[in-house]
Amino acid sequence: MYRTRSLYTTAGFQVQQHLFWQMLTDDQCEAIVSTAEELLERTGVEVLSEAAVKVFEEAGCLVDGSRVRIPSTKIQWALRNAPSRVTLCDRKGNRAMMLENNEAHWGAGYTPTEYYDQEKEEKRPFTLADVEEFGKLAQMLPNIDFATQGGFPTDVDEAMAEVYAFKTLVKTTTKPIVQHVRGLAQAQPIYDMAVAVKGCAKELAFDPFVALHVSIEEPLQLSADALEVITFAAEKRLPVIVSNELVSGFTAPAESAGVMIVALANSFAALVLSQLVSEGTPFITGGFFTNNDTVNELHPVGSPEVSLLGGGFANILRYLRIPSYGFGGATDSKISDAQLGLESALSTLCAGVAGTNVIAGAGVFESGLASNPNLLVLVDEMACETERIMRGVEMDEDRLARGVIEYVQPAGNYLATKHTRYYFRSEQFWPTLMNRKRIDDWAAEGSLTLGQRTMNKTKSLLVAYSPKALKDDVVAELDKIAG
Amino acid sequence: MAATIEDLAQAVFDGDSRKAKKLSQKLLDAGEAPLDIINQGLMGGMSEVGVQFKAGTMFVPDVMAAAEAMSAGVELVKPLIAHEDIQSLGTVYMCTVKADLHDIGKNLVIMMLEGAGFNVINGGVDVAPEKIVEDVKELHPDIIGMSALLTTTMLHMKDTIELLKEEGLRDQVKVIIGGAPVSQDFADEIAADGYSPDAVSAADLAKSLVGAA
Repeated sequence: MYRTRSLYTTAGFQVQQHLFWQMLTDDQCEAIVSTAEELLERTGVEVLSEAAVKVFEEAGCLVDGSRVRIPSTKIQWALRNAPSRVTLCDRKGNRAMMLENNEAHWGAGYTPTEYYDQEKEEKRPFTLADVEEFGKLAQMLPNIDFATQGGFPTDVDEAMAEVYAFKTLVKTTTKPIVQHVRGLAQAQPIYDMAVAVKGCAKELAFDPFVALHVSIEEPLQLSADALEVITFAAEKRLPVIVSNELVSGFTAPAESAGVMIVALANSFAALVLSQLVSEGTPFITGGFFTNNDTVNELHPVGSPEVSLLGGGFANILRYLRIPSYGFGGATDSKISDAQLGLESALSTLCAGVAGTNVIAGAGVFESGLASNPNLLVLVDEMACETERIMRGVEMDEDRLARGVIEYVQPAGNYLATKHTRYYFRSEQFWPTLMNRKRIDDWAAEGSLTLGQRTMNKTKSLLVAYSPKALKDDVVAELDKIAG
Repeated sequence: MAATIEDLAQAVFDGDSRKAKKLSQKLLDAGEAPLDIINQGLMGGMSEVGVQFKAGTMFVPDVMAAAEAMSAGVELVKPLIAHEDIQSLGTVYMCTVKADLHDIGKNLVIMMLEGAGFNVINGGVDVAPEKIVEDVKELHPDIIGMSALLTTTMLHMKDTIELLKEEGLRDQVKVIIGGAPVSQDFADEIAADGYSPDAVSAADLAKSLVGAA
């Protein structure tokens, strides 16, 4: 099309295939890595599980009660052994999420105990029915890559809340599931259900459609629950996401490098354990890092520090070739307003361009206290815009467009060219929520705000959803595990 | 395989000018009636484009490609139709107003009007109100279509309508307007007979004004 020369006359043309926010150089990454290694060797980490301590001790780590000092060489061994890439499948076994390189994937949050009803502008407790709603939306939204429970269901036995949430999600969606657990009490039945869905443990290890997600909330201390989950996942060869949830100036130093070093030391300890238990087991890490808002005595989810620390940590993990986990698409706002849009968009963009492989948090509202499904729907659109930016400037003979520019001539117009017809669809983002209508058309449709249009889309997605039911015998099996 | 009218409509729909021309020729060679080739094949494909455009599944570059394909076929077939068989819905005089050189939209409207069965006179670009009035006196169009891309030049639409009134021609001709800055409100304000936001609805508008819709 309007070609001016052969495609094959350029040798070794280097391209930036995708935009990438590399905020840390290799030297900076190495400085953080070395410091975390030094800390683990000198200060060590509190390991609050005797079984885990024993694993570290047998591998040659220095043990003093629950304090474990890990030689740097053990960390380097674990880094060499852990896979640099992990694939999550969908429920049917199709390869769905490649957690590798700078591939970004988005999904909802999991902690809020309240549900924000945007239409009534009021909150109520988060329930299992809301988990189902988040599952349906994850299924329907093209740019939401994985399902999460969306919030913490409060209408079921508290100790088993994640288990019921997982059962609901696996019945509702075929997308990969990132399932938060607090300990083995939830991890075991969830694993059993996942095996029931796939038919056998081998199939699940081969086509993992669930990753267990566990949090570390202290500096240089791994809880017994977290250690048990990491060990369990390694034994079963199930992907595990170890998420640091640290607050700068509170559970971590008050500046960015210090937060990342403490987080990385936690992650390294978890990594070494997982690889000692089962060499090569899939391991993903990262976290949700925030600042301590001392004015309001809370930990914001929409602050720039969340994006800065999350993006920087993804950079370090990329440098180490370990799949990364991060946070984005959340807000501190209490209503559907501009702050909601601004904070969620900024964090969605930053987490994406930093190449974070698993980005949770879409829909997290009111500083993490509530969950808003409409925000998940909005983040789907933002993720699509972010992906457009990340796709960057593609370049080849046809896109350099010399032929068509010559064809159109000065002061000409490209609208009627074949070149335009070929590219105008793929070269631009097509909004579903962002309003570009002429004012008369917009007024004719009721002059709806973005918040109102998003609510309408959420409703229509829920209506259009078609069940992704499992076979009856599988459902019976799930009911037996979590009745 | 023998070409069919449906294949031709599809070629127009796909915006494939070469194929539209080739199939038109094949159908003529096979003894198909020229009027059927135009009405069912070429215009048939175009009307489906219009439907899809209104539904938001096809866009201006697609419409332009289809209109070009249709024109390529019409150009070939039209000379073969006996003059009295050509049913014209009326004559439309199309131009871009004074000081405005943008003609892509106007040309697209022309293609759509021709496709819909109007006889169209292309007045060109940068056409002053005086020239439009002069042309109306000479050519007696049923409709004047004016296009403008700029907020500064759209005011010449008003000047033209006022001049038509002064010359006593306003009730002899319908005036329709279009272009990016123009709206229905503006059309009402300057007492135009119609406004259309795009080329496909411009053809529908023109039809309704001559009572053919």
